[in-house]
Amino acid sequence: MSPSGQGRKVSLAESIGAHLLLVVAVAFALYPLLWVVSLAFSGAVEPTPRVLPVPLEPTLEHLRGVAFSTLEVPGEPDRWLFGLQLANSIVISLATALVGVVIAVPTAYALARFEFVGKEGGVRALLATQMFPAVASAIPLYIILDGLGLLGTRSGLVLCYATTAVPFAIFQLRGAFETIPRDLEEAAMVDGATRFEAFRKVVLPAARPAIAVTALFAFMSAYNEFVLAHTMLGREEMYTVPVVLQRYISEFSADWPKFAAGSLIVSIPVMILFYIAQRHLIAGLTAGGVKG
Amino acid sequence: MVAVTARTIVKRFGATEVLRGVDVHVPHGGFAVLVGPSGCGKSTLLRLLAGLEEVTSGEIRFGDRDVTRLAPRDRDIAMVFQSYALYPHLTVRDNLAFGLGLRKTDAATIASRVTEVSAMLGLDHLLDRLPRALSGGQRQRVAMGRAIVRRPQLFLFDEPLSNLDAALRAQVRVEIRKLHDQLGATSVYVTHDQVEAMTLADQIFVLNRGVVEQVGPPREVYEHPRTRFVAGFLGSPAMNFIDGVQVAAGGLALPGGQTLAVRDPAPFGAALQPGRTVSLGVRPHDFVVRPDAPDLVVDVELVELLGPELQIHARLGGALLTVCLDSQSGVARGDRLPLAVRALHLFDPATGLSLRA
Amino acid sequence: MFIPLIVGAATSLFAGRPGEGYYVGLANFVEILTARGGPLLATGSFWFVLLVTFLWTAVNVVLHLGIGLALGLVLSRPTLRLRALYRVLLILPWAVPSYVTALAWKGMFHQQYGAVTGLIYAINDWFGASIEPIAWFSRFATAFAANVATNVWLGFPFMMVVTLGALTAVPADVLEAAEVDGATRWQRLTRVTLPMIRPALAPAVTLGAIWTFNMFNVVFLVSGGDPDGSTDILVSEAYRWAFTREAQYGYAAAYAVLIFLLLLVTTRLPAWLARKGAGR
Repeated sequence: MSPSGQGRKVSLAESIGAHLLLVVAVAFALYPLLWVVSLAFSGAVEPTPRVLPVPLEPTLEHLRGVAFSTLEVPGEPDRWLFGLQLANSIVISLATALVGVVIAVPTAYALARFEFVGKEGGVRALLATQMFPAVASAIPLYIILDGLGLLGTRSGLVLCYATTAVPFAIFQLRGAFETIPRDLEEAAMVDGATRFEAFRKVVLPAARPAIAVTALFAFMSAYNEFVLAHTMLGREEMYTVPVVLQRYISEFSADWPKFAAGSLIVSIPVMILFYIAQRHLIAGLTAGGVKG
Repeated sequence: MVAVTARTIVKRFGATEVLRGVDVHVPHGGFAVLVGPSGCGKSTLLRLLAGLEEVTSGEIRFGDRDVTRLAPRDRDIAMVFQSYALYPHLTVRDNLAFGLGLRKTDAATIASRVTEVSAMLGLDHLLDRLPRALSGGQRQRVAMGRAIVRRPQLFLFDEPLSNLDAALRAQVRVEIRKLHDQLGATSVYVTHDQVEAMTLADQIFVLNRGVVEQVGPPREVYEHPRTRFVAGFLGSPAMNFIDGVQVAAGGLALPGGQTLAVRDPAPFGAALQPGRTVSLGVRPHDFVVRPDAPDLVVDVELVELLGPELQIHARLGGALLTVCLDSQSGVARGDRLPLAVRALHLFDPATGLSLRA
Repeated sequence: MFIPLIVGAATSLFAGRPGEGYYVGLANFVEILTARGGPLLATGSFWFVLLVTFLWTAVNVVLHLGIGLALGLVLSRPTLRLRALYRVLLILPWAVPSYVTALAWKGMFHQQYGAVTGLIYAINDWFGASIEPIAWFSRFATAFAANVATNVWLGFPFMMVVTLGALTAVPADVLEAAEVDGATRWQRLTRVTLPMIRPALAPAVTLGAIWTFNMFNVVFLVSGGDPDGSTDILVSEAYRWAFTREAQYGYAAAYAVLIFLLLLVTTRLPAWLARKGAGR
């Protein structure tokens, strides 16, 4: 025990220096966020360059404009476009998480527990797929989806996302399964469980937090993905939210306040989720990296 | 309750032969302790009895049932793990009930057994806690309870006390032996701690490098070790060995020129042939002070007071000896200490076998 | 998971528009590597883009690591007040979806009404200077800098959190032992702390480098390659060939294969060399 072992030598100047550094860093970190927030609430028609991110003539008009955008189809009642697009994002992301976890759990468990021919090679190949940039795989994915007739569909996009979500999930879960002592399964088997029962009743519940976090990340990666959605989805009512936001400031119309308002609506929930999951992610990433 | 018999067990992991033809017999209701240094194969042997590993060759029988190829769950055994292996997501109650639940025992029986066992082990007030909210000693008790509640034919213990502190270890050791006597179940217990082995066992199996070096009741193994390895492994402080001792006409020629007379040569028979070289072993507690007619005289280099006794580090010629004497014996550094030897052991320097007939 | 890889590799051997592709063998690779016969380092040639990509990766990783490490070390001081608050605020950039970040920064660098221009006006006001607002995306250096600023903002929290995690694994008594042995604070940092967190940081740095190497969103959304494709990195260049320049899939796929091989070789090389050295 060393009660304030470091504390006794910290001078005032040093402590001021530390806080100064942190305040500058925090300013750097927060400025763009505040800029978006202030833009979202600014009522001024023509954006003006300003230093302090404080909304001028505060208004909720942009938020409303984004949230209640509608799709006008002649002869039919208007449909709530933003709701549709948000639902697209959520459904696609949920499906990605589900597919990712269902495939990754048994694979990761096998990698963590059993020795088999080609295991090392398989792991390395899996790692290698992580180096194939998502954008670069957009090309073959585009061709494959075209071949399957799934181009421009939501299931097609889920398939694309699963190809990147699954390897990542396998790494996360392999690390998690490896931290569960073999003793636990052996105890269950001595207690009368079959191998599968030991997996289902002991390993899975013990790994539940890790599985939840993995699913959460698969969900968020799909929810936040832009390039593939931008490339693969053709019609407005199929769009996921990132595509919608980007189109607010495409080359033809730059509606920054609307973009900012939309960003707020979609980012805040994921930021909260992210904060919950972030600690677990780090452990998984570094552990997986060391072993791979 | 069942007798355990393992015959000519061989276990290989790849090219490494961990067990090289081991025989074990534990009678119905017996308490067998497998003891040895790390890597001797004792834990592997226990895992083979549990069915967690498969034998390379050999046969395991529980009573008249051949269990060699049975899965753990079909062997009707319970095991206490070194890490306790408590299911982290289940409460103490559910940990205790887990095995019974898997066997489709009805809820009323499970409840009454859990109550009975938790009363026996003093776990009543902890039943609704999760393992991570328990102290080390409490976790150990839950692990024991989980084994007892099943009423298995055979208990297996894999170093169950090694994660406890010294005081608790001594206390739980006593409890384990009491529980064994109360339940009357056959038990096999693995440890590297020779105190646990001595105090718990009906039969000690001393393992070394994949073979059983000696089997017997604790007293017999302690007083008549069959090999130099067993002699050195059991007993604390360890037995003193003096190598390269020549058998002379009047006794054993010790380093430094003294001669140790063998008072009772009968058990050694022909081994005490003059001119032969042997290894001499004397336990630290087998020395007594004898000023009038000493067997040998040693030079005291360091005296440690351990409370009831003195642990003396002394020199005899080139050899270093440890001698344990009563704390009142008033020995000091620099003394020339006259000693008699109450019991001695002789080993063949080549084979390490005891020369006692 | 492997199918896209295989299809991608196969596609790289074909040329022509989709549906009317014909087999050309390695011709795509030859064209890429010879810059289609043009000067090897002209803007838009593979070698130029490669150079930009390496510069991009190196600058970003150094800044990520430097800032992340510094903040991690400061934040790990047990006597610091408001630690938890600082930590949450500094992680925020990582939590924001990266396309939002990228677009927001693009807005901030807007020449007419971006916040950076606002900052320049403010400096002019306060100090009586007369700096002209910068057209960030019309010159290579400024466009590249804008991309880097965005990506640094995006990536430093990761390194900071990794550093914090790694620092918890440095036991206090080792540092105290060093102190008793007479090490100064700086020596304790460089001789004890940094070597001890290195194993934990190494995989994170590799990962960060791969991410940066492939950081499409920032380049595509902030500078969009401006001016004139000069700030494009390999992935955004590949994307452009596939989806904006008349869908030259084969050519783009060949780019993707080259990216993959580059990463594979550079990340495997140290391990491979180590094994070869050990085998001797």
